[in-house]
Amino acid sequence: MPPRPKKFIDPFVLAGIDYIDYKDPKMLAQYITYYRSIQSRFHTGTSLKNQKQLASAVKKARQMALLPYVRYE
Amino acid sequence: MQKYELMAIISSKLDAKAAEKHAKDLDGRIEKEFSGKVTFSDFWGERGFAYIIKKQKWGYYQVSQFNMDASEVQNFRHELNLDNDLVRFMITKVDPKSPTPRKYADMKKEYEAQEKAREDEKKPADEKKPAGKKEKLTTVKTEEVKATEAPKATEAPKNDLDKKLDAIVDEASDI
Repeated sequence: MPPRPKKFIDPFVLAGIDYIDYKDPKMLAQYITYYRSIQSRFHTGTSLKNQKQLASAVKKARQMALLPYVRYE
Repeated sequence: MQKYELMAIISSKLDAKAAEKHAKDLDGRIEKEFSGKVTFSDFWGERGFAYIIKKQKWGYYQVSQFNMDASEVQNFRHELNLDNDLVRFMITKVDPKSPTPRKYADMKKEYEAQEKAREDEKKPADEKKPAGKKEKLTTVKTEEVKATEAPKATEAPKNDLDKKLDAIVDEASDI
């Protein structure tokens, strides 16, 4: 989980990412909690538009076993 | 014609060579049987699953983008469902805004380079401390050695110095 920014700045805008790809599991893993649920906008500061893209990307990655649904152990 | 993307997982029961052949066959079938055009294809190779699928822990990944008629996609999907060597597959529409995808090998190299850079940043801080300690230890030893050796070698000049110092102190005290 990335640390909560003081001001709400979209990390994807900062990084200059226009399209969030589901084939990049390491990038997506930054926006997932300890129990592997999608991190809320409150904590990451993503814009609504990007959060929707991110959610769909994470869901696709989960289907193809690139990311887990749940944390076991 | 619409642009689609296929991500297929080939089962780990096949060899690496057989899996790569199977992946190439998929691209061939798109062009021959379903009158599509492959614009991008990337064989990832072995990759572990995030969870167990059909009692398997890893598989070979294949990604390919292609143009195909919307009516043919259903047939293509039906054909893939009959394929026993595929563990799982997904066909998605490609966003027209999206750039051409990066190759998996390049992505892997980038992340490895980033990890190395992070480790290198961490390492110097850890390495400096023991190195500093060693230097200090060596300096202390040399000082000790000098201290033990010094009195024997420099007895005579020390006496001279003491006399001079006493003279200076005496002069100062007189004033």
